[in-house]
Amino acid sequence: MISKTIPANSRLEDIDPTIAWQTWEPSDEEPWDNRRASLLHRRAGFAATQEELHATLSLRPEFVVANMVRSETGNNSDVGTFESDSAELAKAVLATSDAKQLAAWWLHRMLNTPTPLVEKMTLFWHGHFATGAEKVQDAELMRSQNTLLRDNALGNFQNLAQGIAKDPAMLIYLDSVSNRKAHANENFARELMELFCLGEGNYSEADVQQLAKCFTGWEIRRKQFRFNPYQHDDSKKMLLGKSGIESGESAIDCVLASPHMPRFIVRKLFRFFVSEDANPSDAFLGPIADQFVKSNYSIASVVQSILGSRLMLSGWSIGRKVRSPIELAIGWMRTMRCTTNVGFLSDRLRTIGQAVLFPPNVKGWEGGRAWINSSTLVGRANLIYELIHHDKTRFDGVTLLAFAERNHAKDPDQLAAWFAKLFFIDDLSGTERERLMKSLDPSKPDRWATQSMVYLTSLPRIHLS
Amino acid sequence: MNHRIHRRTFSSATLQGATALAIGAAAPSGWMQSLSATLSGQPTSQDRVLVVIQLTGGNDGLNTVVPHTNELYYKARPKLAIPKEDVLKFNSDVGLHPSMRGIASLMEDKKFCVIQGVGYPNPNRSHFESMDIWHSCQRKESRNSDGWLGRYFSQLIHPMSAAPTDSCGLHLGTEQLPLALVARGVQTPSLASIEQLRWKGKSESIMARDEIEKMPRAKREVDTETNLLDFVSASTTAAMQASERLEKALATPDSSGDFPNSQLGEKLKIVSRLLLAGLKTKVYYVTLDGFDTHANQLVAHSGLMRQWSEALRSFHQRLDSAGLGERVLVLTFSEFGRRVAENASQGTDHGAAAPAFLSGPKLENTLVGNQPSLSDLDDSDLKFHTDFRCVYATLIEDWLGASSKNILTAEHPKITQLGLQL
Repeated sequence: MISKTIPANSRLEDIDPTIAWQTWEPSDEEPWDNRRASLLHRRAGFAATQEELHATLSLRPEFVVANMVRSETGNNSDVGTFESDSAELAKAVLATSDAKQLAAWWLHRMLNTPTPLVEKMTLFWHGHFATGAEKVQDAELMRSQNTLLRDNALGNFQNLAQGIAKDPAMLIYLDSVSNRKAHANENFARELMELFCLGEGNYSEADVQQLAKCFTGWEIRRKQFRFNPYQHDDSKKMLLGKSGIESGESAIDCVLASPHMPRFIVRKLFRFFVSEDANPSDAFLGPIADQFVKSNYSIASVVQSILGSRLMLSGWSIGRKVRSPIELAIGWMRTMRCTTNVGFLSDRLRTIGQAVLFPPNVKGWEGGRAWINSSTLVGRANLIYELIHHDKTRFDGVTLLAFAERNHAKDPDQLAAWFAKLFFIDDLSGTERERLMKSLDPSKPDRWATQSMVYLTSLPRIHLS
Repeated sequence: MNHRIHRRTFSSATLQGATALAIGAAAPSGWMQSLSATLSGQPTSQDRVLVVIQLTGGNDGLNTVVPHTNELYYKARPKLAIPKEDVLKFNSDVGLHPSMRGIASLMEDKKFCVIQGVGYPNPNRSHFESMDIWHSCQRKESRNSDGWLGRYFSQLIHPMSAAPTDSCGLHLGTEQLPLALVARGVQTPSLASIEQLRWKGKSESIMARDEIEKMPRAKREVDTETNLLDFVSASTTAAMQASERLEKALATPDSSGDFPNSQLGEKLKIVSRLLLAGLKTKVYYVTLDGFDTHANQLVAHSGLMRQWSEALRSFHQRLDSAGLGERVLVLTFSEFGRRVAENASQGTDHGAAAPAFLSGPKLENTLVGNQPSLSDLDDSDLKFHTDFRCVYATLIEDWLGASSKNILTAEHPKITQLGLQL
């Protein structure tokens, strides 16, 4: 009889995939507690506030996950107000035509959204269908793409793939604003298979050339997609072993039908939500990949299964991901109910490697250990240090000290416990608590909250989720 | 007792300690030799530094080193070919892109060498896969998570040495650490800019650092592979050490002369400052992005060639004037060249073989190998005749004085026409 629990230190290859992907249910040994609920908020969103954690613990976990995936908050007027405010802000930002301001606008959404999973998935697809504003040079088109990604973030992958293939920002980014019959441009065709759908090695060079021919005649004119039949090569092409492929749309469907597609997408979701360090076998991903196909490529369906799985919530996943710069900064700010100058935040995120709308290349962000190097570590520590000390920064409208007291954290020890529960993968060790006390300057008794927070956010574990 | 004062004392003691170690008191023997050799003026391979410039995106080799008498070149590129009269010719067959005046002058001084036709069998035309092949010297199926320079660092590091010294390698840039520098158990720092090194919450974080520094090195090396928290802790130590050492090295005023105000110029300026400050780092790694010229290539590529050429000339001039010119060798490479024929967007698609470049010290030849044939193609792309691992073998053996077999995971013949041996 196979054990139904997943010991926290098991190697992935020793875990039975059917057990791993079952829905987790609380038990006496594995209660629905702070550690699990805060993990769920870190992975499905950007870390919880005290109030969110309480609310989450009062509900059954599968109900919490279902609400997240359906983008339901219990109070739909929150969503309405948020969306109308955000639309107003977007108008003002687009009037400047500055994509950097649009990036700040998106961060503002991540900070304030009542449905964090939607923004998290939009960020996932932005990294997947990476498009850089420095090349597109048009904030409006970046915003249209951002809307396309958000509208389909938890929708149907086929619709999303067909949509992105005609998205003006994407086609500008991949040099495909004019695809002529005489010399097909291979860039978009190659990346569609290599980075968006199948993975390197799962297609041939001949497939790249044939797929590029299917996209001839696809153009961007006056910021809009247009099909130019005079430039389209309407011969029947052989693609991925299938003959008779002619149009770009049918070619995309042919790529999506490749047996490599479901595992490629599910593997990427695994990396995003569970762990970049563990390298699951195809067999391990099998149940989720099958579900992706059976649900007719429903993204919501597989995300719900991953988030609510035993693998996620039994505890095995805790500490197995490196926080991205956005997860670190937005998460910390949400937990601390911190408001500040978003432009400043956006600038600083760029220096530590995650400027949204400006991904490093068409592959997006590598994630995991790649987030961490000397510069980014110093930059991460400095980012939070500067957020704490910025004159525009407030915590729930007040100073850090007043905020700590409002949360019944009356000394460094209590603040550390309160913060660790919401933001760390586990509690501080005894030595760390001693060191926290030693790091304080007794000549400045009114500064203990600030100093404690700088100490806490300089601990290496702050980078783990 | 006043903790604040206690902390300050602790802090300055650590700083002095770290400096003493970096200068050699308890450093590995290699560094000691290096220091004494520098003092006595005799060059050894320990004095030598390698700088790698990676042209990211696939540099168009044919428009960099132009076959200006080859009709096939002009036929394949009606819009993109460099007109014969504009080419900076260095012999009757090939010449440089007109934006490369700086490099042309280095070439006149025999301080720049073109190695033609570099590549590898079964070329992969994915940026990421081909770059990984160049970085790791391995195909995906057999790849481990380390790079060729990382394996060199592992050979260099004395396993028992726990002394904080200058890191073997240093990566300059905001992008992730290149796979080439990844090693088992050796953390290579990345440096985005000098300003970004300053650790603002240093006094509050000092206790965290104290804790990290007490971690024995051996433990870090073993556990960083599997344990994410150990990895983050070891990286934090490396970051704090690099921050202190580099801040100290760069405390002297900037005397790095005129560098072009470009991305690559800025990076090479920092490298020259660190070299002049006496950092013992062996390998510096910088990248210049933007070479994926699928559309409207002429203007973009010309700008990149100028940026590379001018930054490189300034860099070598600065080092020459400081007497370091013979100690620093620069390798410039790209993950692949581009297709011989241009596409319909006035650009070029991903190709295969392309030239690689060495510069710095006086070299025996300025051109090694023939221009690959423009008629005998491999799937519309140039065929390579020199494996990139032969270039690496030459650098590792002749320039860095190490054995290349384990680093490259196989024996590769060296290129003998360069005269890099001591």
